[in-house]
Formats: sequence, C-alpha cells, structure tokens
Amino acid sequence: MQFLKPIIGVLIAYLLIKIGVPFLGSLHHPGTWPVVPTAVMKMYLTFIIAGAFVACTFDEEGYNALITPVVDLYSNPAKAKLRLCAVTAVSLLGCWIAYQYVKPTFDAPVELRSVHPAPPSSVTMWNKSYPLQTLKNPFRAPDKAQLAKFTEEGGVIYYQNCFYCHGDKQDGKGHFAQAFNPMPANFVDVGTIAMLTESFVFWRVGSGGPGLPSEGTPWASAMPVWNTMLSEEEVWKAILFIYDQSGVQPRVTDVVAEKK
Amino acid sequence: MSLFTSIRKTGLAVGVLLFAIVTLFAVPVAHAAAGDVKKGEAIYQKRCWWCHGKKGEADGPAAKFLIPPPRDFSLGVYKYKTSDPKVQIPRDEDLFREITTGMVGTGMPKWDDILSEQDRWDVVAYIKSLTDMFGKTPNPPQIDVSKKIKSSPESIEKGKQAFQTAKCYECHGQLGKGDLTKKLKEDSGARVWPRNFTKPWSFRGGYTAEDIFARVSNGIPNTPMPSFAADATSSGKLSVEDRWNVVNYVMSLAEPTSQVKDGQNVIKGLRRDALPKDENDAAWNEAPSTAFYLAPQIIQNDRFFTPTNDLVKVKALYNEQDIAFMIEWDDRTKSIPGDPTAETIAWDTLTPDQIAVQTPIVMSTGSEKPYFGHGDAGHAVSMMVWNSGTTTTPASGTMMDYTGTHKRTQTDPAAAGFSATGSYKDGTWKVMMKRKMVTANKDKDTQFEVGRFIPIAFANWDGSNGEAGSKHTLTVWNWLLLQPPTGKEVYLVPLLVLILLAGGQLVVANMLGKKRK
Repeated sequence: MQFLKPIIGVLIAYLLIKIGVPFLGSLHHPGTWPVVPTAVMKMYLTFIIAGAFVACTFDEEGYNALITPVVDLYSNPAKAKLRLCAVTAVSLLGCWIAYQYVKPTFDAPVELRSVHPAPPSSVTMWNKSYPLQTLKNPFRAPDKAQLAKFTEEGGVIYYQNCFYCHGDKQDGKGHFAQAFNPMPANFVDVGTIAMLTESFVFWRVGSGGPGLPSEGTPWASAMPVWNTMLSEEEVWKAILFIYDQSGVQPRVTDVVAEKK
Repeated sequence: MSLFTSIRKTGLAVGVLLFAIVTLFAVPVAHAAAGDVKKGEAIYQKRCWWCHGKKGEADGPAAKFLIPPPRDFSLGVYKYKTSDPKVQIPRDEDLFREITTGMVGTGMPKWDDILSEQDRWDVVAYIKSLTDMFGKTPNPPQIDVSKKIKSSPESIEKGKQAFQTAKCYECHGQLGKGDLTKKLKEDSGARVWPRNFTKPWSFRGGYTAEDIFARVSNGIPNTPMPSFAADATSSGKLSVEDRWNVVNYVMSLAEPTSQVKDGQNVIKGLRRDALPKDENDAAWNEAPSTAFYLAPQIIQNDRFFTPTNDLVKVKALYNEQDIAFMIEWDDRTKSIPGDPTAETIAWDTLTPDQIAVQTPIVMSTGSEKPYFGHGDAGHAVSMMVWNSGTTTTPASGTMMDYTGTHKRTQTDPAAAGFSATGSYKDGTWKVMMKRKMVTANKDKDTQFEVGRFIPIAFANWDGSNGEAGSKHTLTVWNWLLLQPPTGKEVYLVPLLVLILLAGGQLVVANMLGKKRK
C-alpha cells in the first residue's frame, strides 16, 4: 500500500495541473480553457515526482516500505512472470519517451516576450522630448464636467482608431484581434493598464509596436505608431477614456503619491 | 486501509465541491423577461451608442468604419428573426440573443460576460423603445420547428435540388461559397456579401439547424436574402420540407480545413521527389494545409477597415532544387478589371486580386525577426507577389525586396527561378508559387533551409472590395518548416533505449536474485 501512495499523489497533482488550472482559468475568463504548456507541465512533474520520492523516503521505514516490494519483484523466484511484465513495461515506456524526443515534429519554437518592458527615461515624439517619470496626463482635469467632456472626446478617438483590436469591452477582443500575435492588450485585466502609469501608456500608445525595446518583440506587435496618425492631445484623451470605460485607476508613481 | 478511507473522504469532498461549483455557474435558460427602459438606457448610453448612435440611428463615431453597418434601431428592422414568417417584427428573444452572443465577424461583440441577464433584457426594452414598430404588439410566436427533418444523404440530395430550383446559387454560388453573380446591397445601400456556407461558424444568426431554418424561412430583412416560406408575406418558394432539406444541404457543406486551429501556426512543408506541375495538380491533395486569419491593414495610413476575405490556407512541398507553395483562399469575386460582370459586382474601382508571400532574407539566430509589415531598415524581407491581371494583361508573378513600407527594390525573378500560376473556380482562388530553394543572390533572396523554422507572412487584396495599395488584408508572422526526410535515428534511438533498459533491468534482477540466495 505504501508503494501506491506516491503514485496516487503524483496522479492527483497531474490532474490538478491538467484540469484544475484550466478550470480555474475558465472561471476567470469564461469561454476559454487555458491549458498549462507541455514544457511547464514537464518541469512541474519533475519536481513533484522528485518531491514525492523524497517525502516517501524521508525515514528508513518509509524508504524500506517503498523499496522492498521493488527489490522483491526483481529478485523473488516466485514472481518470474510478473517480473517479465515489469521489465517489458518499463523498457517500452522508456522506448516511447525516447521516441517522443526524436520523432519529427512541427511544434513552433517557444518565443518569450516581455509584456511590459522597462520604459526609457524619456521619449521623443511629435518632435518633442517627454520625461516619462514625471509626465502627467494634462487632460485629467479636476473639474468633473470638463473631465467628462475630455473622456467622451477620448471615446470618439478610441472608437475610430482602437476599438477594432482592443474591443468594445476593452478586453483585447476586437473584431480583428484574432489575427494578431501577440494579442491586443486587455485593459480590463489587472495586469495591464491598471498596473501602469499614464505616462507608460502614453509611451506605449505614442511609439507603438516598433517603439518597443527588443525584449518586447517590436517586430511582432501590430500596435501602430500612433504619433504618426494622432495628435498628442488625442492620445491623452484616448488614455482618459480607456481607464474610465474599463473601470480601473492608473498607477501613480511614488513621487506623485507622496505629494497628495 | 486507512489510505483508502482517506482517499474516499477526499473524493467525497472534491465531489461536493465540484457539484457546488457547477450549480453556482449553471446558466438558466433565457425567457423573455420584462426589461427596465431607464436602466437599459443607462447601459446603452455607456456601451452601445459609440456604434449605434445616441438616438439609435446607427450614426455613432465608429459607424462609418463598419461593414456590416450597426443596426439602426429607429427603423425597428432586424436581420436575424426567429418569429413566425407571417409576422414582421422579431421576437424579444432575437434581440436578446444578438446582445448575448454578439455577431461573429462584425463589430458587435458578445455581451454576456459583462452584462447580466437582467441588464441585457433592460437593453432590449430600451432599444425597442427607440422605434414605434413594436407598438403594443405582444411578443410574436416562434417559427414552427417541429417538422425538422433529420439529416440524411437523401435529405441532403433533395436539399441540393431545392437549392437549384430556388436559385440560391445566384448569390451563394454553386458550391455555396458566396461567389455571387450580381451586385448586392442592403436596403440602406450598404455593401453586403452573401454567406459562405463552407464556413458555418461565420453565420451571424447562429448555425444550428433551427437557426438556418429560421434564416431560410424568414430571409434576412433589410438585405437581398428573401423569405422562402410558402406562407410568408413575400412570394413563397419552398415548402417546409424543402426548407429543412436545404438546411441539411447547407450544413453538409462545412469545410473543417477552412477553420483556423488555435495555436497551429506552422506550415508543414513535406519533401517530394517531383513537385506539382500547377495549382490544380492532384499531388497537392495529400499535402497538409494550415489556415491563417487575415486582418485588414489598420496599422499605417491609409488604413483599411472593411475586408471581405477572412483567411488563407497554405501548403508547401519541396525537393532538392525547388520549393512550391500552394495558397488557397475563398474570395467571392474574381476581380479582373475590364470584365463586364466583375465591373458591375465590384465596389469602388475594380483592381486585380493579389496575394503576397513574405519571408526574411537573413535568418536571425535568436527570436529577432524583421518587422512583420515589410521588414525594417536592418532586416530586409523578400516578397513573392501574384496578380490576377486584367482583360488586357495576363496574370503574373513578381518578386521584390522591402526594407520598410514603400522601401522597395525589384529583384530578378528569373535568377530565383520564380514562377506563379493561379486559377479561380467556384469562389476559391488557388495560386501556386515556385522558386529555387537557394539562389546565388544571398543578400537579395530568402535561402530556404530544410529543418529550420522560417518566419512567413501573407498579404491579400480583393480587387472587388476597393483593395489596392495599402488597403489590403494581412497575416502576422507565422512559421514554415520544411521537414527533413526521416532519419535513421528516429528508429535507432528508441530501439537502443529499449535494449539498454531491458538489459539493465535483467542484470539488476540477476544481481538481486544472487544476493537473495
């Protein structure tokens, strides 16, 4: 029985990663089934199997309980048939694993990409240099009526330029989004504009995909270089709108926060 | 024993938990519910007016960039109705459904993830209040779907005949790909293209048998799609039985390879001693096909928002000397400038259809690639282009290099042994491009290498849809892998592992056995 314990433990862990993780993901993003990539699964399983082995052989008693049936299987003259089965099974499993490694595949190479690369300290757009650390949205007016007006103007800009990819619901699922890789940013997700300052977003919008540093894969991003098509004012107003419509607050830097 | 007891307890706990979760998320079946106009208005004025307009007149800021255009609620005419064909107005459930599921391929998303069921009924109540079409009329009855005929080869065959007698092919094409023979407009004058039946997942009113039966019976109001119900107010053409047969025929036309598979972005290039002669060569049939989404060029001026073609399917075969690509795409129109029929069907100025294949000239060692749109100053790309020609100039292929948009230099196609042929049949273009694997011009041409992942991208122009120059559709970078011929190691390595493992175990067993004695 002792022998089954680690196997059942590993099996449960495997099922949790294989089904549990995508299930949790599907609750968070209905309609999706985000599976754990095979490479990550392999890594986890290696750790889990090693962990299970260490846990079961922590003391001598546990070690013996685990190892005795194995030694018995390989040495007991009465178990010759069972032994033959075990030897065949282990050999075939090894053979199959080896085949998986050497067989020809068409799996695309894994490409890593930094989603929010570090911004430069300043950026030049519209023939002007902007210091990103201290830059603030000039249209975030204290007056509520004025702010509402700028936000709606930003909405018009959003719907004439951005909505086709970033979507009606700011979820990055606009009607052309599926053709792009990387997918357009999902503004409702806590991991995007909610954790960025408005100046960072201004830099990302203004200089677009080609303005990314190489860790952000500038060659793959379809984000246009907006400073060639929109004015500075339009970009700031669109930024007002995406925060307002997706219901998240921009991050404020420590310097700004302290002043408040 | 204690182990099994604990497993049983855990199993029970997991079961109870799963049951609780399933119950919590179970979706109740939608029934027409009373909506609150005021609450619906608040949602509408936050979420919907950007396309549909502040008064529902389809004049929001995004409207002019959308085909199909957003619905004009002031008219009260709805395309996808499941009410009885004798009734003009749709059911409340029809409006609710379009808000809930959205309309695939249009700017209308599904809203069920951020609007509650009651929210959606409130919006239904509000948009109904924007027209006097509904008045005090009670919610009309649903179309009768009780006479449904189960799909069978006989029913499909009958449906195929009904498809001919009702002349469905005039707009939908002989193979149902929407390759129309006349120009079609919505009542508003907007451009409209018939559905491609080989891609049922693109049907905007859903693609169950009942959905399609409702479309055939009710037509699509506001568009040239008429009602085929014999008891409808318009001139009836098909019996209930025939309509169900047509439904089964239409459903039989689905083409799974025309659907993009999630995460599959590799063209599987196989080795063949002899390459196909042209695009219609049967040798192409066994080559695996990979489909890629097309998106319009909305990245640089002049931007393009209203595409017609939605995907390309690509195959590749190679041998020692040459590589051949087969690019296939459904296109409702064969755009040959000068052709009288093509000229009448086209929107905007008729230009030739085109397809382009882009690959980097220098392969990087890391993940770095040229910019996916025409490369960049440090990374040139090579482009193979095929053009369907006009009535006076024949179809032709050409090659060029780019180091950024508009930064183009012509290259010598003959030096690369480049040739391209194409033909159009029943709503599908097939174009074969062939060139040498390697050329003498290493800094001007892509050198195709077996066993290496090569970035590859495509661009497409539908000349009947005003697509020319920067106005076109495109794919992002995908991969081409020319599969190396299967080597001996594929068999030898597993065999070696098998022998080693078996031998090793036998040795260990032998040792342990001796010890035991």
